[in-house]
Amino acid sequence: MQKQQEFINLIKENEGVIFKVTLVYTFNEEDQKDLYQEIVYQLWKSYDSFRGDAKISTWMYRIALNTAITNLKKEKRKGERVPIDYSLVSKIDQIDTLMDDRIKLLYNHIKRLNTVEKGIVLLYLEGKSYDEIATISGFSETNVGTRLNRIKQKLKSQIKK
Amino acid sequence: MELEELRNEWQEMSKEIENQKILTDKLIIDMTQNKFNNKLKSISIPETIGTFVCFAIAILILINFSKLDTWYLQVSGIFSALFYIILPILSLKTIYGMKRIDISQGNYKDSLEIFAKNKMQFIKVQKWSYYLSFVLVIICLPVASKLIKGTDILLESAVWLWYLPFVFAFLYFFSKWVFKKYKGASNSAEELLKELDLT
Repeated sequence: MQKQQEFINLIKENEGVIFKVTLVYTFNEEDQKDLYQEIVYQLWKSYDSFRGDAKISTWMYRIALNTAITNLKKEKRKGERVPIDYSLVSKIDQIDTLMDDRIKLLYNHIKRLNTVEKGIVLLYLEGKSYDEIATISGFSETNVGTRLNRIKQKLKSQIKK
Repeated sequence: MELEELRNEWQEMSKEIENQKILTDKLIIDMTQNKFNNKLKSISIPETIGTFVCFAIAILILINFSKLDTWYLQVSGIFSALFYIILPILSLKTIYGMKRIDISQGNYKDSLEIFAKNKMQFIKVQKWSYYLSFVLVIICLPVASKLIKGTDILLESAVWLWYLPFVFAFLYFFSKWVFKKYKGASNSAEELLKELDLT
């Protein structure tokens, strides 16, 4: 019971993080809702394996990103879902009003990056250091730097088009 | 806009997002529990039913094997039984392989690599299963006819006259569709692996 309450508090504290991951990896609200639930489920499932030897945010990003990539274009055998539609839809609307057009445009460009780049740029935008990005992603710090440079170029050329 | 600027604006936006608490205790508990049940259901039902049906047919063929009284019926019987046993096992194995990725252990790079490799393996098995199932469609007909009706369809029926052309025409168009369907998926998995190797 205590474990469950700790988990609930953890999710509540980080619901924004989960939301942003789902926003980057999905292209429609339906998929976003599915991914959101899948991440919460996977976090709960692996909660026991989190022993505090890593930062909670590192663990959380790792699970969320891993869940996002393993759910890419999965077969449409999804079963029932918890009715969180209303909450998420309203949250999406709120985010919409928060983002000015410039951010929305860039955000759409980020969505068009490939899977590897999406993860790295998301962590970068979230304010993670190269060291943290390397820990979460498994790429070396140098490789993270190189990839971020490429992403910058790619975004620039995408925007020019 | 530079990436650094975007990062600053992103973080401004993040603050707003994080201030908006929407999830309730009940919603979080529901998400974990409901999902857990669905997970079990979604993995098991279609594959398990399909596998049991295939195994039942294989057992039926093997039990009644003595009724297959010519060499070609016996060969067809053996291959049919083998297909009904091997294809579902291979299919299940690759599907479970894709689902078995330990999300809590590997980092992003490892998980992507395992996922892409498993996906390619899955595509390969599915593709071959489709092609082999056409061989099965052809060889199971005389076996089924012999076991159910007791007739040797090769000698006693003209059904082949329409059955074979129909199967081959179907095979031609269906194979084209299968190839197209899996080519895209296979390419994206290959691209992902290449991207991971970039330094």
